[in-house]
Amino acid sequence: MLEALLRRGSVGVFLAILVGFAVAAPNFLSVGNLANVFSQSAILGVLAFGLTCVIIGGGSNVVAGGLDLSLAANLGLCAAVFSRLNNVGLALWLTVSLTLACGVAVGLVNGLAVVLLRLPPLLATLASMNVLAGLELVLTENTVVSTDSPLLDLLSGGAWLGVPALAWVLLVTAGLLTLLIQHSPYGLRLHAVGEYPQAAEAAGLRNARYVLSSYLLSGLCAAVAALCSAAFFSGSTTGSGDMLLSVVAIAFLGVVFSRRLVASIPGTLFAALLIGFLINGFQLLNVSSFWVNGVQGVLILLVVAASSALSRGGHP
Amino acid sequence: MPTSLFSFYRLICLGAALLLGQVCTAYADDAVPSLAGKRIAVSMTGTSHYFDIKAFQAQVDEIKRLGGTPITLDAGRNDKNLVTQLQTVVTQRPDAVIQTLGTLSVIDPWLKRISKAGIPLFTIDAPSQYSLNNTTSDNVATGKALAEQLIKDAGGKGKILVFNGFYGVPVCAIRYDQLKLALEAYPQLEIIQPELRDVIPNTVQDAYSQVSALLNKYPKGSISAIWSAWDIPQLGASKALIDAGRTEIKTYGVDGTPQVLALLGQDHSPVGAVVAQQPALIGKTAVQNVARYLAGQHDLPRESHVATLLTTAANLPQVQQLRGD
Repeated sequence: MLEALLRRGSVGVFLAILVGFAVAAPNFLSVGNLANVFSQSAILGVLAFGLTCVIIGGGSNVVAGGLDLSLAANLGLCAAVFSRLNNVGLALWLTVSLTLACGVAVGLVNGLAVVLLRLPPLLATLASMNVLAGLELVLTENTVVSTDSPLLDLLSGGAWLGVPALAWVLLVTAGLLTLLIQHSPYGLRLHAVGEYPQAAEAAGLRNARYVLSSYLLSGLCAAVAALCSAAFFSGSTTGSGDMLLSVVAIAFLGVVFSRRLVASIPGTLFAALLIGFLINGFQLLNVSSFWVNGVQGVLILLVVAASSALSRGGHP
Repeated sequence: MPTSLFSFYRLICLGAALLLGQVCTAYADDAVPSLAGKRIAVSMTGTSHYFDIKAFQAQVDEIKRLGGTPITLDAGRNDKNLVTQLQTVVTQRPDAVIQTLGTLSVIDPWLKRISKAGIPLFTIDAPSQYSLNNTTSDNVATGKALAEQLIKDAGGKGKILVFNGFYGVPVCAIRYDQLKLALEAYPQLEIIQPELRDVIPNTVQDAYSQVSALLNKYPKGSISAIWSAWDIPQLGASKALIDAGRTEIKTYGVDGTPQVLALLGQDHSPVGAVVAQQPALIGKTAVQNVARYLAGQHDLPRESHVATLLTTAANLPQVQQLRGD
């Protein structure tokens, strides 16, 4: 009973932060504001889902385990591909298909580098990150490429049941990936491959295929996030690489929201929303924006420290 | 010496205009309605450059001087942060929003939402259709003066390196278009293709390395000038020219960042000219426009122009004095 309470400590911290903002910040709980936070969290959230898949499939060791540092650069490239193709007048379905294909292709290259060439994921994806950033520069010439499409209008301005379209993208992606990663035989095996690779192999699983598939999922997530980003910025914009640290932070923070303290899709969703609520709450409280990054870092440290203390309590 | 006489007269005229502007502002300061009880959101694209910092501080100071409360927002030159802060500002329901800079295609849909939510929207250097008033330097005159000085210094012929990474930022586009327009009459003065891309962040270092690399490709005498729409790339380019001993190439830019003015004052400086803006006066003017609008004066012009000053080695001390640096 006590242990269960402790394990849910980070959810408690999350709720406490929400309650704090709700009491102190005017309009924090208004429907419009909550909807805003959900849609603002879509880009980082979907990217972090991709990273979560890779961490689950490759193991959570930061150096030797699964990692995809090319996610943000992949988003930048996919957004540039979408904007350029859309601007030359290609049919929307073809533009979207090619954008998704671009993301998955990057995932394939990363996966093959890790599985076939046996490069450490940290280095393999660091290298591909630079290649992708270069390709994005070739496509955009380091400028903002604005574009207009009914899909982007729908994503940025559309709403269903009072929930904005980007929030739906976040929630639906989270739902589908939760089913796939947390509740399907494939997901169970992916967890096994990541956490106990030797046991998984002894049980007859082809580990390489599962690791490769996690990078494909990651690439797909980058492409979906790129569509959200194109809607957010009305095209492709520079500086997508800046998102990388937030994505890693979210996927890492997500660990404390799972019962077993491992990476999970719902945990990552919680973490993405927590970061979104923090940024939003600080702005509503009129905390000078200069403080936001610092306070955000301290809160992340507190949550992680609290959760690791709790986990030590659980496993003496 | 008709040319230097002309320059002298122009300097006197500009100085007089600038002083008159400041006198008028000082006179008008007392007549500006109060902002007591009003919350004004100061939404900055970034506060890392001289222009931003000065414009930002002036807005905050003027809001406080008029009795209002500033809500300060800084996107740190990150478009995601900027869009997020513009979305959230709708929830904050301030009495007015002043947006400083930003790529128009990125921010315009979100400025529209602020405007649709009934929050009076004002801008600085961002001529959005949803803005009630945009306070800005006269960028047409600025771009024209800079281009004319470049053409004059180059003697109407030669090759120019151009940094054109931010055409999406309206003020940069206007200045670039003025350069192209002025060059039409001088077919012997060509822009080297491809144009260079200035970047944010690491603008100075990036411009330095791009120019350093190109200097090897273009020997002495093959480049006349380097142009950029603002003066942070100009700073990097000028440093590269000094380090390479190629100060025969002159650089041109806009803003009047103190480091660039300092370089301009050196002997054998590569800085040909820089158009100094008055960001503090721009920020203050924007806030005063907000105060007037909130007091019921809804007949504001679409644009408020603040004077700029073409600065060369000849008039540098006067400009620094006039601007109060």
